[in-house]
Amino acid sequence: MDRRAFLGASLAIGFAPPALAQDEGVVRMRDLYNKNLSFSDYAKSMEGSRVSVQGYMAPPLKADSSFFVLTKRPMAVCPFCETEAEWPDDILAVYTKRTLKTVPFNIRIVTSGQLALGAYTDPELGFVSRVRLVDAIYERG
Amino acid sequence: MKTTVTAALLATLSASAAFAQDLPQAGSDWFTDAQKVIQEKIAAQPNTKKAKNVILFVADGNGVGTNYAVRLFDGQSKGMLGSENVLPYETYPYTALIKTYNINAQTPDSAPTAGSMNTGVKQIFNTINLSEAGVNKDCASEEGNKLTTFSEIVTGMGKSVGIVSTARITHATPAAVYAKTADRNWEGEAPEGCTDIAQQLFDAMSAGTVDLAFGGGSRYFAPKDVETMDGGKGRRIDGRNLIEEAQAAGAQYAYDTASFNALKLDGSTPVLGLFEDSHMKYEYDRTDNDEPSLTDLTKAAIEQLSQNGDGFYLEVEAGRVDHANHAGNAYRTLTDGQEFARAVALADELTDDEDTLIIVTADHEHAIAFNGYCGRGSNILGLCMGIKAGQVENSGEPLLGADGKPYTVIGYLNGAGSVMTEQADGDYFGTRPNIDEDAATDPEYLQQALIPMSSETHSGEDVVSFAKGPWAHLLTGTLEQNVIFHVMHQAVTAE
Repeated sequence: MDRRAFLGASLAIGFAPPALAQDEGVVRMRDLYNKNLSFSDYAKSMEGSRVSVQGYMAPPLKADSSFFVLTKRPMAVCPFCETEAEWPDDILAVYTKRTLKTVPFNIRIVTSGQLALGAYTDPELGFVSRVRLVDAIYERG
Repeated sequence: MKTTVTAALLATLSASAAFAQDLPQAGSDWFTDAQKVIQEKIAAQPNTKKAKNVILFVADGNGVGTNYAVRLFDGQSKGMLGSENVLPYETYPYTALIKTYNINAQTPDSAPTAGSMNTGVKQIFNTINLSEAGVNKDCASEEGNKLTTFSEIVTGMGKSVGIVSTARITHATPAAVYAKTADRNWEGEAPEGCTDIAQQLFDAMSAGTVDLAFGGGSRYFAPKDVETMDGGKGRRIDGRNLIEEAQAAGAQYAYDTASFNALKLDGSTPVLGLFEDSHMKYEYDRTDNDEPSLTDLTKAAIEQLSQNGDGFYLEVEAGRVDHANHAGNAYRTLTDGQEFARAVALADELTDDEDTLIIVTADHEHAIAFNGYCGRGSNILGLCMGIKAGQVENSGEPLLGADGKPYTVIGYLNGAGSVMTEQADGDYFGTRPNIDEDAATDPEYLQQALIPMSSETHSGEDVVSFAKGPWAHLLTGTLEQNVIFHVMHQAVTAE
């Protein structure tokens, strides 16, 4: 079953988390975004609710912060691909409940928080995000 | 004595018309297929005509190892076990091993490697189309050290020139067709006295040494913070909008699938297509509605360039085979590699072997490696399954390391997939995570690597060139990369 077919099926059962996640209730970044970067039906249905998303913590922009970027693959910084550090276009901005304790960029984590959709510019960092988890907690997963 | 007798027997057998029938293995498909290959090779005649067209296909980072993985992936995606698959260009009659190092780098980067294929000489790490006296990042060293490119030579012969890449069109491999720079990173901005790469493309299109360019990278053609049609933002600090200037000068411009499909490909105007502000999407992440595939771009380029009765030079790059390898993500490496193979196959269909030299190669390899001893049909993205006596296909049981855990067919020597991770005390320590087939074949999976690095590296290992058409027979043996230029040059100038 391909993902599209599955999402169709999950629609029919009231937006249950896609079964691609290995742990119950944990979804992946691709379950929030469609390929054209529009929000998935699942994301739209869960807006405002708490969700758990699997991914990787990109190296934080600022020390002692409560903000980090969740990436779907470890955020490899490739000097030959990019002339400067550059975010992928399918990321998730995470605002944590407590001050951040950094997890290495290539260790998988599961982040749980309230899903917020729509453009938002962080007043302090100037970071523009399209989708966020707020009041979030995370653990190695 | 035994050796002598065996040699004598073989001589008798091979001299005999009844050779095949006398051998117990003669009925095997392996045997008869190989006999057919021999007959084809005996019948093959070198083509020494003058080439009207030259197409140089470069899959960035697709060395011998990566290409092997693409072969298996492509085969398995068609229902084969994998190893028996033959990629479209692997049928070409002439192959060579290509040595990719740069003048000052045992492990090369894509700028001087592409430059060597476009100028005929090896170059300095991170520079493009400067002589060996060029110094990386030294703007002043450009003066007096700029080389003449193949695109300039064939323009002088009346041919058209096109470039297609899934990377930014200002990135190293496409830039080597038209740019001369002391630093490959001067894509949209250069020190006083030097010209950035985007402007060099604009200048080349204005001068008529480049007639078509399809790729990503609109950010370096538009002023800083100005929105581009592909949805990105410009980064030029000189305020120039090279896209608008190109359009004002008569070029057609495309930025998505719809505008691409609306291009009038009659050869009457230059064509510029910039479909992302940075690199185009990986084939796996792309949708037809948003942007064209490498195959679509290649087809359109040939349609446009072949309007010129004097012929064309086209360089096509699958730029993101390399990027996915850097990320340690074999899935996107192989899906982009498979798309590259489709683009080559279509270009071959659209052109005539009698007058078109096609060279399919890579600029360098990566730190990719392969585990054993996997049974046939082990998913090239997945776990190395055992060999089972009495059957061709693998046992379905993953092989285990001494740590009792399964391992994937592909691994990387370094990169973000390292099993050595940073601990709380800053030290690095590693134990291999346990993996199953579902996890290993997931599109986001990073194959396990050894040395921890934020980005997997290139390697200095050889790549292959596959060639057909006029003078393709010169591309055999083990060659320096810059020889590729000389074969292309011989082909277009032959009398």
